[in-house]
Amino acid sequence: MSGHERSITQIKYNREGDLLFSVAKDTIYRLLSYTLGSLTCLLSGDTKNVLTGSADNSCRLWDCQTGKQLALFNTNSAVRTCGFDFSGNIIMFSTDKQMGYQCFLNFFDLRDPQQIEDNQPYQTIPCTDHKITSAVWGPLGEFVNAGHENGEINQFSAKSGEILNKAKEHTKHINDMQTSVDLTMFVTASKDNTAKLFDSTSLNHIKTFKTERPVNSAAISPIMDHVVMGGGQEAMEVTTTSTRIGKFEARFFHAAYEEEFGRVKGHFGPINCVAFHPDGKSYSSGGEDGYVRIHHFDPHYFDFELEA
Amino acid sequence: MTLSSPNPKVTSSNTWNFEYPQTSHSLSCMTKRSSKYSRLRSWKLQYCLRRTLRAAANDYFSLLINLSIHALKLNIAAARPESFPPSPPFSLEMLEDILREKPLEADGIDSVVVVDNVPQVGPERLEKLKNVIHKIFSKFGKITTEFYPDADGLTKGYVCCSHSGPRGVKNADGYKLDKQHTFRVNLFTDFDKYMTISDEWETPEKQPFKDFGNMRHWIEDPDCRDHYSVIYESGERTAIFSNDAKEPIVAEERARWTETYVRWSPKGTYLATFHQRGIALWGGEKFKQIQRFSHQGVSLIDFSPCERYAVTFSPLMDTKEDPQAIIIWDILTGQKKRGFHCESSAHWPIFKWSHDGKFFARMTPDTLSIYETPFGRFDKNRHVCIYRDFSWSPGDNIIAFWVPEDKDIPARVTLMQLPSRLEIRVRNLFNVVDCKLHWQRNGDYLCVKVDRTPKGTQGVVTNFEIFRMREKQVPVDVVEMKEGIIAFAWEPNGSKFAVLHGEPPRISVSFYDVKNNGKIALMKMYDKQQANSIFWSPQGQFLVLAGLRSMNGALTFVDTSDCTMMNIAEHYMASDVEWDPTGRYVVTSVSWWSHKVDNAYWLWTFQGRLLQKNNKDRFCQLLWRPRPTTLLGVEEIKVIKKDLKKYSKIFEQKDRLSQSKASKELVDKRRTMMEEYHSYRETTQQMYQEQKSARLELRGGVDTDELDSNVDDWEEETIEFFINEEIIPIGDL
Repeated sequence: MSGHERSITQIKYNREGDLLFSVAKDTIYRLLSYTLGSLTCLLSGDTKNVLTGSADNSCRLWDCQTGKQLALFNTNSAVRTCGFDFSGNIIMFSTDKQMGYQCFLNFFDLRDPQQIEDNQPYQTIPCTDHKITSAVWGPLGEFVNAGHENGEINQFSAKSGEILNKAKEHTKHINDMQTSVDLTMFVTASKDNTAKLFDSTSLNHIKTFKTERPVNSAAISPIMDHVVMGGGQEAMEVTTTSTRIGKFEARFFHAAYEEEFGRVKGHFGPINCVAFHPDGKSYSSGGEDGYVRIHHFDPHYFDFELEA
Repeated sequence: MTLSSPNPKVTSSNTWNFEYPQTSHSLSCMTKRSSKYSRLRSWKLQYCLRRTLRAAANDYFSLLINLSIHALKLNIAAARPESFPPSPPFSLEMLEDILREKPLEADGIDSVVVVDNVPQVGPERLEKLKNVIHKIFSKFGKITTEFYPDADGLTKGYVCCSHSGPRGVKNADGYKLDKQHTFRVNLFTDFDKYMTISDEWETPEKQPFKDFGNMRHWIEDPDCRDHYSVIYESGERTAIFSNDAKEPIVAEERARWTETYVRWSPKGTYLATFHQRGIALWGGEKFKQIQRFSHQGVSLIDFSPCERYAVTFSPLMDTKEDPQAIIIWDILTGQKKRGFHCESSAHWPIFKWSHDGKFFARMTPDTLSIYETPFGRFDKNRHVCIYRDFSWSPGDNIIAFWVPEDKDIPARVTLMQLPSRLEIRVRNLFNVVDCKLHWQRNGDYLCVKVDRTPKGTQGVVTNFEIFRMREKQVPVDVVEMKEGIIAFAWEPNGSKFAVLHGEPPRISVSFYDVKNNGKIALMKMYDKQQANSIFWSPQGQFLVLAGLRSMNGALTFVDTSDCTMMNIAEHYMASDVEWDPTGRYVVTSVSWWSHKVDNAYWLWTFQGRLLQKNNKDRFCQLLWRPRPTTLLGVEEIKVIKKDLKKYSKIFEQKDRLSQSKASKELVDKRRTMMEEYHSYRETTQQMYQEQKSARLELRGGVDTDELDSNVDDWEEETIEFFINEEIIPIGDL
């Protein structure tokens, strides 16, 4: 499926799995027309609103059905990540360290129109050392787990802004973080060629999945103990090497054994994002090549079991 | 390997070869020099060091200080050339600075020589004697000061003089002035040196024996596993693994063990690591440090085949007087045996050892120097003609070398036996462009690859001249090759050889066999090969043809007993192929040194079955640990080969056992992992259930935990598409 002219940066299913959102660096947003490149998008729990963050220094809230812009949050630098909490009332987004501005993690309460009007978040956390590259809400909307460019993961309280927990398992840039369906775990994808599974609350490191290429995105299957990872040689280096060694494959790992059991080829550029359908019967991947590929699993995928 | 900077700049560290200043200075000269503070210092320093008599130097020194103070006080800036920076204001600290460099008694005596057996003369003939001495010694350098000690009006019969080339003047030793007077020239420093040596012979103290344990511990492995060294993380980490078909077992792993790379000694006893300050040798069960050779900036090492000596090369420290570019060390004692200069850029190893380590030889363009061990007895064989290449037989003390054509004299390949220096075979060749010497590993055969440009033809023709060393008078057979040669390799312990020939991309491989009657038979030829290198199994029979680097790592496993291709495979971008010393396994690897991604080493069986893919981050180098030669005789090996079936049964059983054990281990490991994971999931699920009420509250009472929990809200839309219909007539059937 091709709807974009430039590389896909993120794809997202809604909760029911009947809508698939994709975000690309071009001006088309799958359902809504949009300016500049969108970096990230997240849906509220009931698929009414869509939140997008962009490199045009803004974070916007849209009505999903009409495509109307509900709110605009102007920022000083590009918006790297954004997300709704479990209730769908509080949004957070983080900004890049760019053009002399440092990285901030902002929280807005959508129930308070004053905050949107004044563009004044109720909570702002500055991150001076290493910028946030990826962030997800924890269960019950109490805190945000943020991955930094040095591989660190910090847990920020949504109320006080304090750092509740810390973990340093990755050695490089964290490209992506995605939670399990029940939000109890999340998987990180890092440039250090690994993806790791963490507990959302304690930030305990549970599993590691190793590859030979930078991992751009990883997702947890909602029904199986499986993790899918996408990545490949960095886009910048691809032109200098043969496509054979790019390894632009989606790779399936068993979550408990940390072993790879399958690969799906198809993209001719690195995969930037992967997502499972909420019913776990299909998955999608978006690549630097501008394609979104939706794959349905064969029946024997569900029967497959490693000997144990 | 080619030496990068074979001729390092000569720097002198302990001799003073400066020119002498005049002993008398006018004040104007002094002040001019002292006008620049730093100049004064360097000049003064030079001067001071050159003084041989301490008292005079001291006097002069104080005068010098006075003068410089005077000059600075006068502020003679006007006399100073404009390019000089203004002199710093004079202070007492500066004087201290100067005083610190006050000459010591020992300074400068390096250049003093003492000449004995000089005629004893009275004052009236002293002037004449001085002239004679000057005349003689000016041949070797300049005499700057001299001293004729006298007593009772006669000179004492010896002369002290300081000389600009104290080492060169040593050559005047033994100069015959007349019948009665033969000069004996000695360095002044030598007197000191020999005076302090005790007349009594002192037996050197016995060094305590250092027990490093069993140096061949790895050979005693019950499963006959071989060791290999791996450097990875771009050289940060080095590890020794015990090879196993299932997965490698770590024997030792260290961070920053070496600064560049490692080398095994020829019998595998030592592991050499490279450091800025020298070489360290490691060995024994726990890889303890066994020996150190201090050689600044060392970059290359070579061992004698007997593991008794090591040769190291450093492009740094080399001086004319003290050759240090190449050093030969005794491995057992750690002593430096001898240093050599490295005059020409040559291929490493510069010194080639004979198979038993008894002789070693080096080649310069016009000499072939052969040395004999143990040290102390050096036997230099110099033949003045132009040498192009030489090589020792790996089986006997025979050296082969070739000399190019010189006008009417044809090119010659000579085989010389040592120590008798008997030329056992000389082969004349015409119109030779180049020769390459290839020995079979046992020394049974020598193949000389000869590139010729015969008269009347264009282009280069290649011949293989095969010398059969084990037969009387060494008969030679010729194999003509019609195409360009890419690679040649002998079967290590057999009579076969493999040749890659042709022009890329049309490359063929041919297998030849040297029969007992001397006939060289072509066994098989395959064309359209993707290969540029040949790697024979150390045990013979099997080989791997590899297309390394630019050929993408194509691999062909060949059994030469019937010349079948057992397997064709690929290790993409492979840069190296290494057989284990037993010929059971092959490793192909992509080194970080040649390619920056997918650095890994893969383990194959000799048949070409892939056993392991070992991805190591920034993997650099893998080297198998060599094994010492077998202690079994030919007969014993024959018996083992005969009873191979008996042994193979035992091994098969062992393999099966270990395999089932391995699969059981794997299943167990997975089971525990699964259990851990499940117990973790259970606790989180429990917590998740406990939080249900909180979640319901947050989402306004709507349960979103299950996908179909609020299925009533769903609206179903049915959309129909008309997907094109086509009717294609199929014609008559």
